[in-house]
Amino acid sequence: MRIRGADRPRWRQLPAGVRDQTAEEVAARRRLESRLLEVFARWGYVEVATPTLEYLDTLVHGAGPGLGDRLLKLVDSGGEVLTLRPEMTVPLARFAATRLLPAGRHPLRLAYVATVFRGQERGSGRLREFTQAGVELIGEAGVQADVEVIALAAEALLTAGVDRPAISVGHAGFLRGILGTLPDAAAGAARDLLYRKAFADLEGVIATGPVLEALRLLPSLRGPDALDRAQALATTAESRAALEALREVLDGVVAHAQPVRVEVNLGLIRDFEYYSGIVFEAHAPRGGMPLLGGGRYDDLMARFGHPAPATGFAVGLEERVLDAVAEKARLRPAVAVRYAPGAYRTAVQIATRLRKVGLAAVIAPAGSSAGSGPAVCTVTVGPDGFTVEAGGRLRAVAADDVLDAVRSAIGAGVWIP
Amino acid sequence: MDSLTIAVPTGRLMDGAASLLARLGLPLDRSGEDRRLLVEFPGSVRVLVTKPMDLLTYVEQGVADAGMIGRDMILEQGRDVYELLDLGFGACRAVVALPEAQVTRLWQPGRNLRIATKYPRLAGRYFEEIARAVEIVVLYGSVELAPLVGLADGIVDLVMTGKTLRENHLCEVAEIARSSARLVVSRGSLSRSSRLSEFVERLQTLLADRERGVHA
Repeated sequence: MRIRGADRPRWRQLPAGVRDQTAEEVAARRRLESRLLEVFARWGYVEVATPTLEYLDTLVHGAGPGLGDRLLKLVDSGGEVLTLRPEMTVPLARFAATRLLPAGRHPLRLAYVATVFRGQERGSGRLREFTQAGVELIGEAGVQADVEVIALAAEALLTAGVDRPAISVGHAGFLRGILGTLPDAAAGAARDLLYRKAFADLEGVIATGPVLEALRLLPSLRGPDALDRAQALATTAESRAALEALREVLDGVVAHAQPVRVEVNLGLIRDFEYYSGIVFEAHAPRGGMPLLGGGRYDDLMARFGHPAPATGFAVGLEERVLDAVAEKARLRPAVAVRYAPGAYRTAVQIATRLRKVGLAAVIAPAGSSAGSGPAVCTVTVGPDGFTVEAGGRLRAVAADDVLDAVRSAIGAGVWIP
Repeated sequence: MDSLTIAVPTGRLMDGAASLLARLGLPLDRSGEDRRLLVEFPGSVRVLVTKPMDLLTYVEQGVADAGMIGRDMILEQGRDVYELLDLGFGACRAVVALPEAQVTRLWQPGRNLRIATKYPRLAGRYFEEIARAVEIVVLYGSVELAPLVGLADGIVDLVMTGKTLRENHLCEVAEIARSSARLVVSRGSLSRSSRLSEFVERLQTLLADRERGVHA
């Protein structure tokens, strides 16, 4: 092992995949978070929270053993393996199944904004820590619930101001129906390949025939006529039911009349294996990875002891989403309150009045720097009275007029908290 | 109109990729004069020339809509892309090879085994599957050299004809995977780009014609 030289200190660097956030970046994220939570609340979804830490067992129990490599793990003093949550669906399923549903509350409409963590994705440029906002609708099985969640996802994208968002909708049951006609071993091998999106490898595990043909056609089954083209491939009751459900969901989403393109994509394969029915993801005009993803997971709650149908989605608050709100997010205008020797008490009174009306006030001795923040206005408390300075214009004001002078100097209505 | 960006790798798959692209009306200048890494064609089509190791990153991030790359690289890097078509060229196999006189070492569990390879994940997964403990040494070129000079006991590498192995007195002891060039597609592009769908369809028709022996 090579020991790092003391001359090459690590303290300037951050671990891979994590970031600091400036005041402007935090302001943009907070603004988006609160707007999304407000939209979710208007659709009846209440915000809940779960801990950042979960047992590794909990997450693997919910999402399957394939998850292990993608987690950030730590060992606590008792030797238990803990993980930083990689997403919120499994923690919320645990919370709902063990506490909320047994208490008789149902259906549940839950919303969250949470920091999630992923294991090291070697050199992929992906973040290991980021914020997700999302909802889970637990205890509703019908097509109406799927429609509600997709329409709310569209609303979330519009709220975020994403340019030309498009939502693709698929159904896990269509694929399951096709695989169901194969012997178990071949079906398992094919499922593994499809989970890796390795369509070109399918002929290695399935004999030439209609099933292979159908599976290889999956990625091309997208767009307005996809359901009609898929009909010929739906040879089992499960596949046919999946197409019927997709048709109903699309009809329902159209009723919401949102300016978001929603189309069928039967080649859609989601990252988590708990999805059981309708699945969907949203993409921006650029970029390879989805902005938003979700779907129905009717079997997950049962794994935590309280069977219930459920569906939901999460949107990652990443650059492509945050950039859209960044320009509109503003920092609070700050007022520097400077005082001459002996005038500190008066400066405090002025600052307190400014703070009460929602302005940022920073107190500093005259002649010093007022510290961080964009000071748009300076109030100077001198031995002979008050001056208010903004945009290069200085005027003397009486004690009672300081607040009004500051307001007019920074522009009425400039700050809407 | 949406643009379409296709990535092709330098190296052993370049000839095959360039020949397919030429048949689709996207001829690359292969005279050796042309060093451009980004070639623009009419109709907002761009061809991106990348190192094989880098290609999947471009496609995964959606900077390229699609790319042509060996299955070996897909298995090694495990990136989140759709692997849609077998392009039918660049066939090779990933194998374990040991010096001719020492092939039995692989099956002697008491013996520590060092394996040199450019494919640490692919090799690691294979030895996990057969439950053989090994030490992996990562090299970036000519791994056949490692057993000759005592850096490793054996190698995991791609073979096409087996000539390089024979010349270096190495003997294939196990096949890990079969590879050929594949068409990979970005998740985002598959969901939104009708130009990509059209490109995939044309490529599919071309490959089917080729299989039937039709020469357009």
